[in-house]
Amino acid sequence: MSTQNIPHESGAFHVTGEARYIDDLLVNDRLLHGRVVYSPHAHARILSFDLAAARALPGVHAVLSYQDLPGENQMGPIIHDEPVLAAGKVECVGQAMFIIAADDEMTAIRAEKLIQVGYEVLEPILSIEDAIQKGELIQPARKIERGDIEKGFAGADHILEGTLHTGAQEHWYLETQVCLCLPGEGNEVKVLSSTQHPSETQALVAEVLGISKMEVEVEVRRMGGAFGGKETQANHTAIWAALLCKATGRPVKIRLFRDDDQKITGKRHPFFFEYKIGFDQTGRVTAYDVTQHTSAGIATDLTMAVLERAMMHADNSYFFPNIRIIGNAWKTNVPSNTAFRGFGGPQGMSATENALDRIARFLKMDPFEVRRRNFYGAEDQNITPYGQEVQNNRLYLIEEQILKSSDYLKRKAGVADFNAKSEFYKRGIALTPVKFGISFTSSFLNQAGALVNIYKDGTVLVNHGGTEMGQGLHTKIQQIAAHELGISLGKVKVNATNTSKVPNTSATAASAGTDLNGMAVKNAIEKLKSRLVEVAAAHFNETLGPGSQPDQIRFAQDQIFDESHPERKIEFAKLMPIANFRQVSLSATGFYKTPGVYFDRAKGHGNPYHYFAFGMACSEVEVDTLTGYVKMLRTDILHDVGETINANIDLGQIEGAFIQGLGWVTTEECKWDAKGNLLNHSPDTYKIPNVQDIPRDFRVKLLEGAPNPNTIRRSKAVGEPPFMLAFSNWLAIKDAISAVGNHAFEPAFQLPATNEVILLSLEEIRGKMRGEKVKSL
Amino acid sequence: MQGTRTDIEFGFGNGTERIDFAAEAHLSPTTTLLQYLRGRSDRKGTKEGCAEGDCGACTVVLGEPDGNGGMSYQACDSCLIFLPQIHGKQLITVESIGKSTALHPVQEAMVETGGSQCGYCTPGFIMSLFALYKQGPNPSRDEIDDALTGNLCRCTGYRPIVEAAAQSCAKGPHDPIAEFAPAMAKILQNLAQNSSTFEIRREDQVYFRPQNLTEALRLRQQHPTALLVNGSTDIGLLVTKQKRVLPVVIDLSGVQELKKVESATETLKIGAGVSLEKVRKLSEKKFPALNDMLNVFGSRQIRNLATLGGNVGTASPIGDTPPVLMALDAEVELVNLSENGVQSLQRRRLKVADFIDGYRSTVLAGNELIESFILHKNQPGITVKSYKISKRKDLDISTVSGGFRLGLDEKGRVKEIRLYYGGMAATTKRAEAAEDFLQGKEWSRANVEAAMDLVESAFTPISDARAGKEGRRVMARNLLLKFWSETVPQTV
Repeated sequence: MSTQNIPHESGAFHVTGEARYIDDLLVNDRLLHGRVVYSPHAHARILSFDLAAARALPGVHAVLSYQDLPGENQMGPIIHDEPVLAAGKVECVGQAMFIIAADDEMTAIRAEKLIQVGYEVLEPILSIEDAIQKGELIQPARKIERGDIEKGFAGADHILEGTLHTGAQEHWYLETQVCLCLPGEGNEVKVLSSTQHPSETQALVAEVLGISKMEVEVEVRRMGGAFGGKETQANHTAIWAALLCKATGRPVKIRLFRDDDQKITGKRHPFFFEYKIGFDQTGRVTAYDVTQHTSAGIATDLTMAVLERAMMHADNSYFFPNIRIIGNAWKTNVPSNTAFRGFGGPQGMSATENALDRIARFLKMDPFEVRRRNFYGAEDQNITPYGQEVQNNRLYLIEEQILKSSDYLKRKAGVADFNAKSEFYKRGIALTPVKFGISFTSSFLNQAGALVNIYKDGTVLVNHGGTEMGQGLHTKIQQIAAHELGISLGKVKVNATNTSKVPNTSATAASAGTDLNGMAVKNAIEKLKSRLVEVAAAHFNETLGPGSQPDQIRFAQDQIFDESHPERKIEFAKLMPIANFRQVSLSATGFYKTPGVYFDRAKGHGNPYHYFAFGMACSEVEVDTLTGYVKMLRTDILHDVGETINANIDLGQIEGAFIQGLGWVTTEECKWDAKGNLLNHSPDTYKIPNVQDIPRDFRVKLLEGAPNPNTIRRSKAVGEPPFMLAFSNWLAIKDAISAVGNHAFEPAFQLPATNEVILLSLEEIRGKMRGEKVKSL
Repeated sequence: MQGTRTDIEFGFGNGTERIDFAAEAHLSPTTTLLQYLRGRSDRKGTKEGCAEGDCGACTVVLGEPDGNGGMSYQACDSCLIFLPQIHGKQLITVESIGKSTALHPVQEAMVETGGSQCGYCTPGFIMSLFALYKQGPNPSRDEIDDALTGNLCRCTGYRPIVEAAAQSCAKGPHDPIAEFAPAMAKILQNLAQNSSTFEIRREDQVYFRPQNLTEALRLRQQHPTALLVNGSTDIGLLVTKQKRVLPVVIDLSGVQELKKVESATETLKIGAGVSLEKVRKLSEKKFPALNDMLNVFGSRQIRNLATLGGNVGTASPIGDTPPVLMALDAEVELVNLSENGVQSLQRRRLKVADFIDGYRSTVLAGNELIESFILHKNQPGITVKSYKISKRKDLDISTVSGGFRLGLDEKGRVKEIRLYYGGMAATTKRAEAAEDFLQGKEWSRANVEAAMDLVESAFTPISDARAGKEGRRVMARNLLLKFWSETVPQTV
């Protein structure tokens, strides 16, 4: 019953349009439309502003600037460096300056046009290179180091140096940032927010409004996608809506228009890598020295945690005996970059994967052979640069299976045959691994709470701190609760996440939603069961005569029974009024904290992860070398989720993450003009994968027979790790480009590998080939 | 002059609905169908994802009588439809086809396959799947992909949705909507017979939707600066994205004469109001170059709304059909209403290449409308090909496009060549120096490679969100080589 592929708990609501999102809620006709007025300049001093005309417009109920905030002008989640509304200066295009509440959207737009602002425009810093030249670090640099890097290079047969750019990525959740605020009595405000982190939204709304957290209730029924984009930056929309609600005493909704959402909110951090890698004749890496530079944007937000994860994933699946990783986060004049599925992991791995690919081309070896020669060992060579042992290493198990199922070696030969016969179309193939650490690296965040209520009819309402954004968390929680209580799924409902039910929670992030909240729910149910076994035993003894012991009471198939006397049983639902009559509480809280995780940032050392998730993908692509168009011919994925709680949901997470990764490495490109305007601010020019872009032959499997010790139902987190499987496609594209020059030249490459990047790289190779011919003549 | 009306009537699910704009002050004639639905408490299922036709979250299905007593159904982006355009059609939203307690087969399949995760794109996918379901059982993978191209999902990776399509369509196309189709067809035919010009005036706006060509031309004469709308997939963005008020609009989507298709021995004549989806099907056999271009034009939802007249009439530098129409030597027929005493229609024909005369500018006179396009079927010895390079293959706008025309003599020498490029200049532009160079020469790789330099020097492209100028130059060069590789005579 427990691992069945039950559909998403809201599936039938999704497909009929009955599922309600914030923008769909019916509110009384006093609802006001909230609008954010943002900076048109990437960097400017605000010399003056005049809101009088906008305020005087009929239908306008509030126009607020930083001068009108009742509490703090601060909405940074960790480092308090992000103003709610710009004060004295603006530092990026899209930074909020004023907020308007009006009867309707057109009135708010008219009001915006009446606002006069005087600016002194200043020079912005937009690119990472610019920031390195003339900018500043947003926080001190970080370092993780192991071994003796100089000795490692001295012992190398060869050394390669290089750089790599990876681009920003827009979350492109289908539901843009949205919040509806309802005024209550006194200071109270109810905040219906599309947030991954209700507790933080609650805290920041309280701080900015200058009220207590007990007066702010945040509720999240569901999000229309989030992917990290609503981990901290949903707070912003919530705060702006709450301010307008407070100022007008009326319900206020802000839903960002798509273009505004893309301009205002932060993205996946772009990175610039400078690396040096030493290796021996067999492809074994002896030393890896990499400096990771990232663009933080105007505020710290989650940048340092993202950078930390990027640094801790520079090793990916490989044991590098001597390694130095330096992390620099630069302040830039773009919206603060933020969490996005993988949280720096993809970026950290990208430079490494590209470097290993270069080693293979340099040594004329198979790239996967180079990779496997550097894999973490099962018994030794299994300590990460930050000192954690890689336990339960699944790389070898996965490698063995995927080499067979993908037929990698044979197909590689087939690719070479195809390329020998085809001039304008070239194929490429790559097999790449992922090892991804599970836990928040800020160890204290690894905690969760739950509140489970059983009602007298035997139905169960589960509250927990996690939020549902499509990942199927509530479905898995429903399964876990039903399983633990031995009752049917239909008897369990997972409630909207609400700060008044479960307080002080962590964000639903780091793939850990089920790991943490599932355990907290289990903990609450264990408390309830410990009470119910007493009730059941007493009830049996009273009605059927003595003989039942509480420790023999079991829960299964909607029954509660005595294992020693199986004929002594009662329907689950029938025992609940009995418990209530006996004055036994049918409500319990649960709590969980991940054991044994810690990390010392100053030393770059510790045991930050509860465990690692593993996976591999093999992808074959075909590049039209005249147009740069890439056909994804086939992808095989084998991914480790421990023992699955819900195979359909896990497959959905793997496929969805992989396709999102595919977008990041191919068509999703964010460009800014010289004045700091984002050019790709709508789906017109920002291209996420559509149905035609997925591999035509797409084979996804869960690794079987590899349970994960010490987690809920021996499962593994799944949200983020498969994102990085798309490196197989990225490097298969590079392999196809390389085929044009018979693999004699290292292709210029970056991420994303758009058709333009591919064409320019091909031009360069063709130029080199022409140059070589001239020389040989 | 016929009488005018201020109301629209349409089928809604299996019922009918009437909106009188004179009585509904909160609705403007350029209120989009999506805005209308979102404003109703009972139609919150339809979502706004982008308000520009790029994501499909707002997809609804519009039904029309199929002429055989039944109905045909098209998926459309409701964000791009002005309300008056649904007059006389059947509007079907996600709420029309099933409930959580009684799912439609496409809804059931989506639940079973795990086709919804966050659920926000789902109602739009359901409507695209519903339109596909109505087309008959067992669609091919290509047909499924094409039906879903206009819907973006950020969660699933699409595989379960493709599965849901195959699974549900195997059971189709019977459902409650089908049972009511003959009755709905009759209702809508009656509405069509009673139609007169829709005309609504607001303080800052006047909107006409004529039902016949004479009336349209009369309005055109009276309002020569009016914005002509025929599909609204481009003009709609002025409202949804730029929040502009369109002061005078003549909506041609109701003009029946513009929807005619006439196929003769020598020519195919396509009305300016024929949807690009219909043109795509019409061009399949005889005009593969046009068909290739339309296969990657927007999405099904866009092509069901957009028209050939609209795409050529906007004269966008990155319009997808102009380069290929020019390469096909297609003509455009313009019509106006004669002013001397008796009302009569006057027509003139010119080449599409001569019709567009600058950046978003055409030679269309203030009293004229595009009536039709004429494609010539028999062009012996001529090869025409079209190419589109975009960041994403489907549902993207051209970075660079090409419409190329080639005639070779018996010795394999270039007798005729025309190379039309889109995306390289302010308007569709020929690489004339390259054409001149190739004229009379052997259609050989060496000559083509030499001509590639001339293609490059013919243009000074810009850098924008889609690509840099350097990338555009390489693309333009390469397209000529690609054309060669696909047309080189396969001799030993």
